[in-house]
Amino acid sequence: MSSISELYDVTWEEMRDKLRKWREENFRNSEQIVDVGEELINEHASKLGDDIWIIYEQVMIAALDCSRDDLAWSCLQELKRQFPDSHRVKRLAGMRLEALERYEDANKLYDSILQDDPTNTAARKRKISILRAQGKSSEAIRELNEYLEQFVGDQEAWHELSELYINEHDYAKAAFCLEELMMTNPHNHLYCEQYGEVKYTQGGLENLELARKYFAQALKLNNRNMRALFGLYMSASHVAASPKVSAKVKKDNVKYAAWAASQISRAYQMAGRGKKENKCSVKAVEEMLESMQITMS
Amino acid sequence: MAHLLLDSSIRLWVVLPIVFITFIVGVLRHYVTQLLHNEKKVDLQQVSDSQVLLRSRILRENGKYLPKQSFAMRKHYFNNPETGFFKKVKRKVIPKNPMTDTSMLTDMMKGNLTNVLPMILIGGWINWAFSGFVTTKVPFPLTLRFKPMLQRGIELLSLDASWVSSASWYFLNVFGLRSMYTLILGQDNAADQSRIMQDQMTGAAMAMPPDPNKAFKSEWEALEIVEHRWALENVEEELMCQDLNFRGLFS
Repeated sequence: MSSISELYDVTWEEMRDKLRKWREENFRNSEQIVDVGEELINEHASKLGDDIWIIYEQVMIAALDCSRDDLAWSCLQELKRQFPDSHRVKRLAGMRLEALERYEDANKLYDSILQDDPTNTAARKRKISILRAQGKSSEAIRELNEYLEQFVGDQEAWHELSELYINEHDYAKAAFCLEELMMTNPHNHLYCEQYGEVKYTQGGLENLELARKYFAQALKLNNRNMRALFGLYMSASHVAASPKVSAKVKKDNVKYAAWAASQISRAYQMAGRGKKENKCSVKAVEEMLESMQITMS
Repeated sequence: MAHLLLDSSIRLWVVLPIVFITFIVGVLRHYVTQLLHNEKKVDLQQVSDSQVLLRSRILRENGKYLPKQSFAMRKHYFNNPETGFFKKVKRKVIPKNPMTDTSMLTDMMKGNLTNVLPMILIGGWINWAFSGFVTTKVPFPLTLRFKPMLQRGIELLSLDASWVSSASWYFLNVFGLRSMYTLILGQDNAADQSRIMQDQMTGAAMAMPPDPNKAFKSEWEALEIVEHRWALENVEEELMCQDLNFRGLFS
């Protein structure tokens, strides 16, 4: 069994920098983190200096993802030895208990953190994740709402709440959460696109027009968002096919839909360039667009 | 304009030692501050309030990206005459008198001790030890007004104001070595005096102002006058002026 450094021919500094990049950009490639991190910890611990503690934390969370309880336990022991009274380490211990499905013990641990420090957001969020893991989504929603009442600026929490509402099919409230996210991150095309999708799902003429606008905004922010392009096509054709619209609105929407369709075929043509199946895939796209035409019911 | 040739032993025994001393004292100050530092207890109410104010500010700035209805809903939540957040919520404010409030008093004393005291001591010692001669020349010309300030101990009327004494070299070092401290001690270190002085001047701007009620009132006023101009009014037309740029999507 060869080590990572032999397989990929990288030095330990490169491995450490890779871990830092994954950490800063919030990647969740847990298996890779476990492989690289385990080797760093076992072989090069002395050379890492004080970096090693944050690597322990990163590797421990990845190990919990991969069910490597042995590795998680050893990382936790090292961290406990170095930082005996730390809330951050206690939270990691709680996460390990969650991974073992010992939810009662985990809850007790988080409660003790909160008693000590009522403003600790990490512990409160872990408690909500426990509720979600147990499938108690209505309670999770209620707790998350209370949490957000106090910490209105926590964007991660707003996103989580929007996901919970979408699962419960409560699209109006999910739209509210996504609006919060759009407000704080006006240049993030993904939130615009998700908002457009929720509005499209809600249905009704006004929502469809809103959806079309937000899909267009997402495309404006990022020209390559294919989902938004398809969304634009669908919402525009839907509005055009609706019986209640005026002639001008219908004409406009037909124009939008036609433009979107042309962009889609252009994209597929570019994708198929140089490949032999090009003609077939382009034809397939045209047929797909035809079949997606909304007919008046 | 006098061209003076300074003894090179000035460079060896004055300029370099002053740099050295300033640097070492700065590093010591950093460690002493860390030893004397105690955790600031955060109040849940304060955190919550500051986040609410932030949200309201963001609503004012970025509200134009939201649909009109949503913006109106949020503005209503904040500013409604009866049930609006800024109208309804009044926080109990205990005025924090700096003289009697113990924690703030000790903080102030510690700050003074670690920063001002060494500066005075070392500045005075340098003035006493290295006085009576010119240390260095600043590269830009200065007016005569600067002479008494920068040429302590040198009573020469005809000397250019660009020639400065060792005390001014010391002060130059205090501010100049800031970036060196960042290199050695990492960001946000306690030896950074100019930042501390900046903090004292703009203090209330950073932390939660002691009177949340005033902050709420000013936020309410600001939100009242904001109008909703939807940024997405013509987005489709703007989008369709040209073909989409798919560069980079297909590799």
